[in-house]
Amino acid sequence: MKTIRVLDMGLVPPLRSQAIYHGVAYAMTPETPDTIILVSPDAPYACIGYHQELEKEVDTAYCAEQGLPIYRREVGGGAVYLDSDQLFTQWVFQRNRLPLDLERRFALYIQPLVETYQELGINATLRPVNDIHVNGRKIGGTGAAQMGSADVVVGSLMFDFNFALMARVLKVPSEKMRDKIIQSLNEYMTTMRRELGEAPDRAQVTRAYMRHCAEALGAPLEIQEPTARELEVTEEIEARFLSDEWRYMKGGLRQSGAVKIHADVYLLEAAHKAPGGLIRATARLREGRIDDLTLSGDFTMLPAFAVGALEQAMRGVSLEPAAVLARVGEFYASMNAQSPGVSAEDWTAAIMALKAQAPQ
Amino acid sequence: MSTANNCNVPEELYYVVQEHVWVRPEDDGTITIGMTDAAQNLAGSIVTATPKGAGKSVKKGKSSGTVESGKWVGPIKSPVDGEIVAANEAVVANPKLLNEDPYGAGWFVKIRPSNWAADKAGMVTGAQAVADYEAFLKAQGIDCAK
Repeated sequence: MKTIRVLDMGLVPPLRSQAIYHGVAYAMTPETPDTIILVSPDAPYACIGYHQELEKEVDTAYCAEQGLPIYRREVGGGAVYLDSDQLFTQWVFQRNRLPLDLERRFALYIQPLVETYQELGINATLRPVNDIHVNGRKIGGTGAAQMGSADVVVGSLMFDFNFALMARVLKVPSEKMRDKIIQSLNEYMTTMRRELGEAPDRAQVTRAYMRHCAEALGAPLEIQEPTARELEVTEEIEARFLSDEWRYMKGGLRQSGAVKIHADVYLLEAAHKAPGGLIRATARLREGRIDDLTLSGDFTMLPAFAVGALEQAMRGVSLEPAAVLARVGEFYASMNAQSPGVSAEDWTAAIMALKAQAPQ
Repeated sequence: MSTANNCNVPEELYYVVQEHVWVRPEDDGTITIGMTDAAQNLAGSIVTATPKGAGKSVKKGKSSGTVESGKWVGPIKSPVDGEIVAANEAVVANPKLLNEDPYGAGWFVKIRPSNWAADKAGMVTGAQAVADYEAFLKAQGIDCAK
């Protein structure tokens, strides 16, 4: 394997910390080396998953008041609070250089993270498909996407984490619920500071991580600089991330339950919890058939456009379990889509949950 | 000593050219491996060496440990299937040995190969090694005098 390029970006503004891996990915040419980006934001922000609805997931009023920006990434998963206590480890590789199977791809990506934690004396292990656990607690999350001609896998090394602020930026139905979230985060998440009593030296962690990457990938790593073209594309991505069109993508229907448009047309909304994430389905139902469908949530699906294709594929289908499952099955058969922890049955359950909202 | 593109390539050793690894068969059936002069030249001043410890099994083409310079981290790939019988503690204590004496005091690990005859077939030695290495370095644009 050829030398892998490391871009050690240090601390950068929040927008850049998300945009950089998109920029490097979209600027990728056949000559671009496989690249690992190491970066942290110099200020806190909130970040939502590609398939999420901004106003459903994040307390926008609180974020505005606190001056916390909110950015949508082009990677699935859930809303998160991010700050300088996390070191993002972003892999941007040539298509098909990493294992094709997503579970194996995550396992390879997570290996050096786990080994870095272990070297520090933290009992981290891979919990398939894509989590890292320390004695039952989660330490950071990971996600994967395809962008341009690149395969992207992202995650982080968690030096420390502000559980209260994480709970604060999330949109929750009540303050009581927020307290429960803080309690749950405290119970089920951990960090290097928590495990070791203090956060370790950043440079030392970075070196250990690079060493374990060289081991896992069987290739040398070399610290280099991004190209002018990559920075240019990153700036274009930043402009897109700031646009309302991008931020509010997936938005629109905000009511819950059912809204009658006229005698035979209803807007419905329902959710289903799959092992791989929460699926929210919003649909317009016309004479018992799906007229229009939006699927959002913190799941991962590759390629990302497959979600839109699935939405399209469901149009005209009668809202009956057998018909829905058959069409979802056809979709998976016709398209090489991967959605770890979200099966055809899960999509069907999310869509059929709409029926419970529909007036009889 | 014979050279290829100004990099030292001793003819008495075996090489896996593409991986910049040298191999010396020992009388006791083990092999000693290390990084070549070209490799240490590419890496620059080495600051950390982390060979895997004795008793670890290794697979051909997989890492037997890593070396690091200021801007570079690389695995030294095992040229054989086998078991590591010794790691060079001298390079752990003084990583510069890898730069100063890559074919001598800067050796990396000793391995007991499980099938030396088969794995040796994939390596080159002697004048052939120098010729192959030279061709590879030219193709890669690597020159130790630069």
